[in-house]
Amino acid sequence: MSNILNLLPVLIFLILMLCISVYIQKSSQNDRKKDFAKDYFIGGRTLGGFVLAMTTAATYSSVSTFVGGPGMAWIIGYGWLYMAIVQVVVIFLVLGVFGKKIALVARRIDAVTIIDVLRARYQSNTLANLAALIIVAFFCTTMVAQFVGAAKLFEAVTGFSYFTGLTLFGLIVVIYTTIGGFKGVAITDACCAIAMIVGLGILLGAMMETGGGFTKIMGYISTNHPDMLEPLSAGKMPLSLYISQWLLVGICTLALPQSVVRGISFKSTRALHRAMIIGTIVIGAMTLVATWIGILSKGILTGSLAAYGGSVDNITPLTIIASMSPFWAGVTIIGPIAATISTVSSLLLSASSSIVKDIYMHHKQMQGHLVSNNTVRKFSLVCTIILGLIVYSIAITPPSVIWLINMFAFGGLETAFFWVLIFGLFWSKANKTGALAAMAGGVLVYCVTMALKLKVLDLHQIVLGIGCSLVFFLIGNALGQPHDRKTLETFFPEEYDK
Amino acid sequence: MKRSDKFRQANREALATVWATLVVIIFWWVAGFGLADVNISFLQTPLWVWGGCLGTWIFAILVTLFLTKKVFIDFDLDEEEHEHE
Repeated sequence: MSNILNLLPVLIFLILMLCISVYIQKSSQNDRKKDFAKDYFIGGRTLGGFVLAMTTAATYSSVSTFVGGPGMAWIIGYGWLYMAIVQVVVIFLVLGVFGKKIALVARRIDAVTIIDVLRARYQSNTLANLAALIIVAFFCTTMVAQFVGAAKLFEAVTGFSYFTGLTLFGLIVVIYTTIGGFKGVAITDACCAIAMIVGLGILLGAMMETGGGFTKIMGYISTNHPDMLEPLSAGKMPLSLYISQWLLVGICTLALPQSVVRGISFKSTRALHRAMIIGTIVIGAMTLVATWIGILSKGILTGSLAAYGGSVDNITPLTIIASMSPFWAGVTIIGPIAATISTVSSLLLSASSSIVKDIYMHHKQMQGHLVSNNTVRKFSLVCTIILGLIVYSIAITPPSVIWLINMFAFGGLETAFFWVLIFGLFWSKANKTGALAAMAGGVLVYCVTMALKLKVLDLHQIVLGIGCSLVFFLIGNALGQPHDRKTLETFFPEEYDK
Repeated sequence: MKRSDKFRQANREALATVWATLVVIIFWWVAGFGLADVNISFLQTPLWVWGGCLGTWIFAILVTLFLTKKVFIDFDLDEEEHEHE
């Protein structure tokens, strides 16, 4: 079915994203002349509620929302949906806890990145550089994994090669991120979120029709796979997995830097409040529909896993192919591709900002050099496109080490930033020694226990990582010196206003 | 509103968000695991699925509405001139 016409919907969508970015670049030329870094990396703090909600939700939902998750639901059943729905808290949690505090602090210190905030709070270049390194390494491997997942899906559904798919959306997302900057990323993300919802809606409708309707499919499942209707799924979903997931994809996502940075970007408290509501509605709807599709596909793909290539990742593409014509399959595939590119665009820009703003510009300023706005502009654009092209080339034939690092990425980022951000913003006695110990020690413990597959009480290693990170923070904090009043007054004015 | 008052309010709101998350977790547990043994089905789908999955989503939206309408308040994020000492 590798007919060029079936490629058309994806192509039109991608070109639309490109046009949006070009338009944004044109319309923000004046702002970029004034302060390039501020406009390019954070959109000049002008995001409204709807775009803030959509970009946070789109960055969070990735290709695995469409592929890995539904595939597992096909095996496990409703237990997987019950576990996936814990993600409804992620948007209101990160925006509600950090949103206003970060917004207030960022305006005072003129911060553009999360690392700007951490550097100002802990007065440590070592901490800032370590954080930048963690962000760049983990973000890049995540981007490669996203590309690979989407390109495989693309190949399975359209019949065009892996390389064609990867080149098509890989290069376009790199180009539009480079020219559009943060505002471009935010607005294209919003379009991507809408495309995801539309794609899911089409797929749900088509597969219900193929399977003979919701009740009929459910009747089939309850007769043939009654364990899919139990929350513990006959032992396949142990309680420890639920607890682990509440931490890993629920509560601890609070500290993911790609989400927290959105706290610097919105324009008013009203926008924040709206974003919390819209974001919760959208993230819940996407999780519910995507995972539910996976469960219901049991009524269409009735064989054993071995009959479908032995990998749960094949379930979604096979469901798409089984339930619709090639043209509609080509429309539906926009959903997962949108999920991929919206995640990649945000990570790419954040990683680039870490290199440009947190490492390069800071280094120059320390040496006493004044970096001109034009230099920042050139360096930012070049850095974003080169980083994107590196990620694209690695994704063509990804080496196995990428998968190893990627396994550490999600929880590693959470471990690195969880206590450092929470204590940094809410506990005035937190100091540099504690933060360094928590970030370095926590990530080390997390990665080592992940690599050795060590677990406590059968809980995911995130529990060990976060737990040890907390202990390291408290020990380091007791050994270190408190920060000076000037620093603390920026972050805790309420404690000096008696 | 003084800068220090804005920070006090932000602290209050952050704490309220943490409580709200706990309430959602409790709801999720009760509406899912709590209903797992109830032998009622709707559209061939057991009650705990409707409560624990669809219900948790709707409940989380209601909690967010409560937070943003009743607990969170609007203020100017930029600093007013007289605040600069």
